[in-house]
Amino acid sequence: MRGMLVGLMIAGSGVSAQTVTREEGLAAWDRIYAVASHPRCTNCHVGAQEAPMWAGLGFGRAVPHGMGVKADDSRIGAESMPCRTCHITAAGRDVASPSAPQIEDAWRLPPVELDWLDETSATLCAQLRDPARNDSHDIAELAEHLRSSPFVAWGFAPGAGRSKPAGSADAMAHDVEIWGAAGSPCQ
Amino acid sequence: MKLTVNGTEHEVDVEGDMPLLWVLRDELGITGPKYGCGIAQCGACTVHMDGVAVRSCQVAAADVDGDITTIEGLGTPAALHVVQKAWAEHQVAQCGYCQSGQIMQAASFLDLNPDPSDDQIDAAMSANLCRCGTYPRIRAAVQTAASRLQEG
Repeated sequence: MRGMLVGLMIAGSGVSAQTVTREEGLAAWDRIYAVASHPRCTNCHVGAQEAPMWAGLGFGRAVPHGMGVKADDSRIGAESMPCRTCHITAAGRDVASPSAPQIEDAWRLPPVELDWLDETSATLCAQLRDPARNDSHDIAELAEHLRSSPFVAWGFAPGAGRSKPAGSADAMAHDVEIWGAAGSPCQ
Repeated sequence: MKLTVNGTEHEVDVEGDMPLLWVLRDELGITGPKYGCGIAQCGACTVHMDGVAVRSCQVAAADVDGDITTIEGLGTPAALHVVQKAWAEHQVAQCGYCQSGQIMQAASFLDLNPDPSDDQIDAAMSANLCRCGTYPRIRAAVQTAASRLQEG
């Protein structure tokens, strides 16, 4: 019995499958989608297209990344111009738009499997709950990504002039745990 | 703080958030890298940090993480870098203001990708602006340099 209860807990989250209803899970997903579909996420969660997006920068309309940038197969632009040529790896530099943002990690795009630019809520939900289509992440790993990624942290605090999603990385991670504990409902 | 530029170690007394470009030009008198925009939009200030092209206007002095090479350290008049040699052969420069950054960008690019496609050359060089519009000659020079590198 004890082992089963532990199995129903999301590691370290305090969220139990026995205490989360489907409705609560759906509400958590709606909050997750509101963030995940924000340009601060979708600008980089792009597919095999050549360039990331420039949307929600605080000026102008949404366009593909300028300067002929190509992420290439490497997803870091190694075959042409590395992202790090302009996106310097540095901590704590609040570089205002239109300068290139800097974080304490090598600037890069996510794996192409994590493309969800312009996806609907239902489609993204089905993608993110399926490790075969979400770069092999289970719920705990998705939550951990949100809590530990410098990219996610920057997305919630992108600096002067840039739009940002509501909430925080920790709140979003908690929502992922609630959603997972409810069985990852989509609709 | 200490910086290694073109193989020489320098001790500089600057604020940590001073752009590397300022350190190079105003503190060390290395004026090959040029100020163009200050916001990573033009490429005139491009230098190498451990061989990778970076916009020196964007790198705070405290964040320098590697040896710096500027156009002054890429080649010498007696032993030009393959990109510099191609640049001269194609007479790329007009006013010349951007060419330090252009050459440093191209040299880093060909180091990472010595057998580039024409599309990759265009992508690699698209963020280095030339107000004189010498882009066709820039492309030709990079193609020539790439060919030389493939010949060994």
